[in-house]
Amino acid sequence: MAHPLPVGGFPVPPPLPSRRRGQLAEIARRYRRNKLAMVGLGVVALLVFLAVLEPLITPYDPFEQNLRNTMAPPSPAHWFGTDVLGRDLLSAIIYGARLAVLVGLGAVTMALLVGVALGALAGFRGGVTDGIIARVTDVFLAFPALVGAILIVRAFGAGVLPVIVALALVGWPTTARLARGQVLALREAEYVEAARAIGASDPRIVLRHILPNAIAPVLVYAFTSTGGYVVAMASLSYLGVGVPPDVPEWGRLIEQASDFLRVPGKAHLWIFPSLAICLTTLGFAFVADGLRDALDPRLWDRS
Amino acid sequence: MPAGPVVAIRRPGPRAVPGVRMGTFLLRRIVQGVLVVFGATLLIFLATFSLGDPFATTGARVVPTEVQEINRAKFGVDQPLPRQYLTYLGNIFTFDLGVDFDQRRPVVDMLAETVPNTIRLALVTILIDILIGVTAGIIAALRKYSFWDVFVTVICTLAIGMPTLVIGILLAANLSGIGPFPAVPHSFTVEVPWYSEVVLPACTLAIVDAAFIVRLMRGSMIEVLHSDYIRAARAKGLSELRVIGKHAVRNSMLPVVTYTGVSLGVLFGGAIITETIFQYNGVGYLLSRAIVSSNTPVLIAIVVFSVLACVVLSTLVDILYAYLDPRIRLS
Repeated sequence: MAHPLPVGGFPVPPPLPSRRRGQLAEIARRYRRNKLAMVGLGVVALLVFLAVLEPLITPYDPFEQNLRNTMAPPSPAHWFGTDVLGRDLLSAIIYGARLAVLVGLGAVTMALLVGVALGALAGFRGGVTDGIIARVTDVFLAFPALVGAILIVRAFGAGVLPVIVALALVGWPTTARLARGQVLALREAEYVEAARAIGASDPRIVLRHILPNAIAPVLVYAFTSTGGYVVAMASLSYLGVGVPPDVPEWGRLIEQASDFLRVPGKAHLWIFPSLAICLTTLGFAFVADGLRDALDPRLWDRS
Repeated sequence: MPAGPVVAIRRPGPRAVPGVRMGTFLLRRIVQGVLVVFGATLLIFLATFSLGDPFATTGARVVPTEVQEINRAKFGVDQPLPRQYLTYLGNIFTFDLGVDFDQRRPVVDMLAETVPNTIRLALVTILIDILIGVTAGIIAALRKYSFWDVFVTVICTLAIGMPTLVIGILLAANLSGIGPFPAVPHSFTVEVPWYSEVVLPACTLAIVDAAFIVRLMRGSMIEVLHSDYIRAARAKGLSELRVIGKHAVRNSMLPVVTYTGVSLGVLFGGAIITETIFQYNGVGYLLSRAIVSSNTPVLIAIVVFSVLACVVLSTLVDILYAYLDPRIRLS
């Protein structure tokens, strides 16, 4: 871009570095100082790594059953042993990681889109719109979430996509409520008034001025809830709803192991899937905590 | 101790505001609660309706079409949806929740059998919650940044990350069938005292909740300990026990009370996962069996019940909160 000619012969100072990138770098710096948050990031990175490379790194086909070698204890051939159906447990758990990442991130993204859209609408419009959305949110919040998800999955049929949709449909109200509060607090901010004064349209004000400032706590909540979605999927499978029965999913593995809980020598059946679920939830929780601390703490004053 | 005005100044609590405002606040909350219950019943009806005809297939059995017709007429599912919904709403007021598809038992009887168990489980859970949560929270707040504080905080972080499913499986695998804990709940085969079968599910449910309560208690206690009235109490020369026990703890309980109330509402609605793991004969286990067998009348009844429990408890909490903190109902 050509610099404009200096007026009166004064040189134009070089453009300042982008403030936005500066702020991101600052957040990243604060985040990196938090050890627990880095551990969480490591766990999440490992999960994503397993999820993406699943077909390449699973030692066996996670679907292949071998009914002559069921519930074998961990051995050099099968590091985590084999499950109730004789599948290699390590491969099954890696495949489960793929499902967890897919469903966790998918559901959280959908819930975020729906929740932020409705929450921002309610907070910005106020009045009747707000009232209606608030009542709908109340109904969804009072409704037992797991039951709602089960019904939706049953209506759509078993599969990964129905599970994602179901979890997002029961998960959006919390996000909506959070986003509404944020937008409501910012609606009267001076810079919003300034934007309105120069004639910015409502969508522009919401998208360009309010949401960028309101989104941080919502994003942190999204990370906190991702572990919850993974657990919800496992719970669905544990109850026999969700992904098809032959898919090696963590909750399903635990469910199949539940007849052998007190049988000595079969503990690997439930320990490894349980560990996988715990690691996932803890990983996402640590990331969320770290993000919350790394983002401007002042953002947390209003709620 | 001086009576009258001094007390009124020290406690500008509920009595300082005219009762009219509390009245409108109450009315508004109750109307909102009723709306939520109606909305939720409508939602569950739409959801179960979208599952399709419950008599088209019943498991592995092949049912002749004539029998299907008779069944549909018998259970009223051949009626249009709005009519079914209105009939159901009308029947609720006479405590008639229909007859279940499987055993043809009145659903009210099934609820009457399981609800007390669930309420018992919920109360024991909350008791454990408060005992552990408040104590650990107080210790962590009083000894801030000490070894115990860090210890408690780390345990809480881990506990919050542990899903109920995993905790339940862990306890079931290691403890049930050992000592006083039954391997099989009494409701089905052997008779065991209620307290021995309630402990494990209650602990499962309590662990995560207790961790949240510790966090709440620690945070609000630290805030209260820095407040002026605690300094004043100390300056007056009160003993440390009195300052903590009478002033600090009481004033930091408010968030805990709120959280416990809401949590109780959720627990009354039945803990599906936990009750299923331990095969505890409560609403949650009934629900999980109803889901597997597509037993719609039971499903609807339990959902209505748990929404009702949730709404009633959270309304009560709001009212309690408004009573304790006048700023809420004035806004």
